[in-house]
Amino acid sequence: MSEPFYKPRFLRVFTGLVYLYLFIPIFIVIVFSFNSEKSLQVMQGFSFRWYSDFFNDPTLMDSLLTSVQIAVLTMVISTIVGTALAIGLVRAHSGTAKGFNILMLVPLITPEIVAGISALLIFSQLGITLSIWTIVIAHITFSISYVTIVVRGRLATIGTEVEDAAQDLGASKWESVRLVLVPSLWPAIVAAGLLVFALSFDDFVLSFFTTGEDAQPLPVRIWSMIRFGVSPTINAVGTLMMVVSISAVALAVLVPRLFGRRESGVKVLTGAEE
Amino acid sequence: MTSKRFWDWFIFPGGIWIALLFAVPLCLVLALSFGHVDDFGRGVYGFTLDNYKDVFDPTYVPVLLRSVGYALATVILCLLIGYPVAYFIARHGGRYRYALLAALVIPFFVNYLVRTYAWVALLSDQGLVNNLLVDLGLAQEPIQFINTPFAVVGGLVYGYIIFMILPLYGSIERMDPSVIEAGKDLYGSPFRTFLHVTLPATQAGILAGCVLVFLPAVGDFVSAQLLGGPDTYMVGNLIQDQFFAASNWPFGSALTVIMMLFLAVWMVFYLRRASRGEAEVL
Amino acid sequence: MSEIELNRRQLLLAGAGLVATAYGLSGCTVERPIDKSAAGDVVEPKIDGDLMIFNWAQYMDPSIKKSFAEKYGVAVNEVNFDNLEAMMTKLRAGGSYDLIFPSTEYVLRLRNEQLIRPFNRSRLKSADTLSKFYDDPWYDPNSEFSVPYAYYTTGIAWNTKEVDTLTGSWNDLTNEQARGRIFMLDDFQEGIGQANLLNGFYLNTDKSDQLETSKDTLLDQKKGLRGFSTNSVQNLVSGAAALTQAWNGDVVNARNQVDDPSIFAYETCKEGVPVGSDLMCIPITSKSPGTAMMFMDWVLKPENAYKNVMWNGYPMPVAGGREAFAELVKDDPSIDVNLDQLADSAMEYRLDSPEARQEWTRIWTEVKA
Repeated sequence: MSEPFYKPRFLRVFTGLVYLYLFIPIFIVIVFSFNSEKSLQVMQGFSFRWYSDFFNDPTLMDSLLTSVQIAVLTMVISTIVGTALAIGLVRAHSGTAKGFNILMLVPLITPEIVAGISALLIFSQLGITLSIWTIVIAHITFSISYVTIVVRGRLATIGTEVEDAAQDLGASKWESVRLVLVPSLWPAIVAAGLLVFALSFDDFVLSFFTTGEDAQPLPVRIWSMIRFGVSPTINAVGTLMMVVSISAVALAVLVPRLFGRRESGVKVLTGAEE
Repeated sequence: MTSKRFWDWFIFPGGIWIALLFAVPLCLVLALSFGHVDDFGRGVYGFTLDNYKDVFDPTYVPVLLRSVGYALATVILCLLIGYPVAYFIARHGGRYRYALLAALVIPFFVNYLVRTYAWVALLSDQGLVNNLLVDLGLAQEPIQFINTPFAVVGGLVYGYIIFMILPLYGSIERMDPSVIEAGKDLYGSPFRTFLHVTLPATQAGILAGCVLVFLPAVGDFVSAQLLGGPDTYMVGNLIQDQFFAASNWPFGSALTVIMMLFLAVWMVFYLRRASRGEAEVL
Repeated sequence: MSEIELNRRQLLLAGAGLVATAYGLSGCTVERPIDKSAAGDVVEPKIDGDLMIFNWAQYMDPSIKKSFAEKYGVAVNEVNFDNLEAMMTKLRAGGSYDLIFPSTEYVLRLRNEQLIRPFNRSRLKSADTLSKFYDDPWYDPNSEFSVPYAYYTTGIAWNTKEVDTLTGSWNDLTNEQARGRIFMLDDFQEGIGQANLLNGFYLNTDKSDQLETSKDTLLDQKKGLRGFSTNSVQNLVSGAAALTQAWNGDVVNARNQVDDPSIFAYETCKEGVPVGSDLMCIPITSKSPGTAMMFMDWVLKPENAYKNVMWNGYPMPVAGGREAFAELVKDDPSIDVNLDQLADSAMEYRLDSPEARQEWTRIWTEVKA
């Protein structure tokens, strides 16, 4: 890296301030989740009562379970479908591939409210009652795109040489994909899956439009709590959700290392070059 | 089976899913926007342009303009705040780069609603910020921060800034450092080097960041609902009301279509640049 | 094949598909009609599953739900709505709630759309002390589909420490002291209704010129507002509201949540006092209608009604509830409401034609925009 020709002091201070700005609300959430009193302004003592309220509240526990179920289903299905899509898009050189390349990006840049409304419309039209399944379907729709992007980034750096070699040795096309290509993509696939898990677990707007009433995921519940009467339980819920999401992504970052790759998982996820 | 057909089998599940469950529903929205409401308040498909006439009614145009205005303000602020941070991490982060990036991302793992609500707690009349100001004698009585347009834009910036910083970072990191060297020789001052060398070199990231922030910000309704007042009504709130309160799905659909058309212009612009390599492909 | 050509062909295909879809769909409603075969079946009280309640927020004492859950071994869950139109939308979309709390007008609409199930009121043991007023109401002849829960007035609640210049009129919604910290109910009927009363019109007018005048009144009032919200209790308690349009029980509920109850006060306005009732009904999509009916019985029991009234501040027209409300009124006569007021139909919200309702919702959307 070249020598900067001015001391980055201004930049350092500025960045520090921005980090402070980003973290202050997070500290508020975490700190006040341990407040012994209801107040969201004054810290009165240390207590786990909001966490115990959360774990003892059957509705919230139901929602937690629902959120996890949705995230797992979304992760599994979208990873399979998205990986296949990525492989197809990179290896094929047809016009179909080009068209789908673009189509695949669109869900990513569409505002969630639009995706939510269109999902609501099609479910209403087909007479499908809103339930946990409608949420899963909606989540999978945008998750496929995320998986495709992550896997595709990785795939682009892998040439066809190894697959060609496998075929020379007698493997069929399908076998060469299954036994050669997919294993080499595995870190990216896992990373994408965990990323999608975190996104689904945290999702609000799309879930809001496609949720039934008996299986409401946690963020939708939180919305009701905020709109209709907050208690500091919300901070406990937020903190716990943060831990779950961070763990998922931390795994996504660490897994490539576990596979003996020397690149950091961050590189795998963001597709940055070596 | 020919080579092409083989790979097509890989594309079809995902492609068909997105086509059926994303593209087709969007068409339904478009179709419903030409409909009307029946006696019971249900949406009925039809061929009227009434909803579009309503969208451009002088009562609602300010809502549309306001949403675009807030989103633009959000993008500009995100860019002003995000670029220096991305630059610092990419060029001066050294071996702490990835740790800094990870730290940057952590706040965004707290749910968007909870994060925004934390700002409500911070900025409310009896919140921490006001308490601090009053205690320090800087204010006689609490200043009203929330339920204002500033709070809404602030909430939007806070919610989406990560989508500006990450692409910027990618772009800056990929920049060849020797280009800056050359720029130093050519232009002399750091400021001019930045203007004529760094900025253009990172325009792919800037474009991606702007698009990734602008598009969702236009349709956001959470920020306006939690932090806004009666005069910060955004198109997202208007649409949400049509579906859940006013029971006018056709009008809500028309609003959605207009919003999508407006955003589609930017989407196409971005996708074209991306396929030409001029924008960061995500 | 170049990208541009492909896109054009895709567009043409999409366009053709769209036109075909539009033709095929025109005249169809968006929502598939829900299965209404159960519409006529009379519900019997028995435990047949867990309970899912759909109600306003902070409208029922949680201990009543808890005690029912413990006694009968079922789960009692609650989902909230913050306006009645949202409730209708969710119901029409097939939401399988077991017990809902519509107002009188909505009971009529629900009956017309065959969305609620009949039950035999005589099977409810606690129902014999219900006020005769609810025996054969205009919205539910023979009382086959609903049972009353609570009744209320709409007025203004405020924080006495912040505001002391009230005049007992709907003009107080533009009070100068409270300016910028005033809330209006986020309900199209309550909002337009008070403007109608201010202008001397009939509460439920459907004359366009009168509604336009009220709209101008509302736009004027909006300038001093901090927000539209039906969560008056929360807004008062958190201090966000110095003054708010509210329902009479809200002020009692708010007082219960602070150390100094005297800071909140309530008034009804001289131009007119809207009144109304909320009732309990069982939707046809209910999965546990029997449990719902047993819960209705539970809520109306004298000791539970007493507790509920003391908690949420609204009168319940049943033994136990009446006594509790009388006590509350002794401390604060301003929240009083009696059934004679309810008999005055000019003060109850009621839009008889779909056109009127659409006009009202259109005006409200314009005000909020």
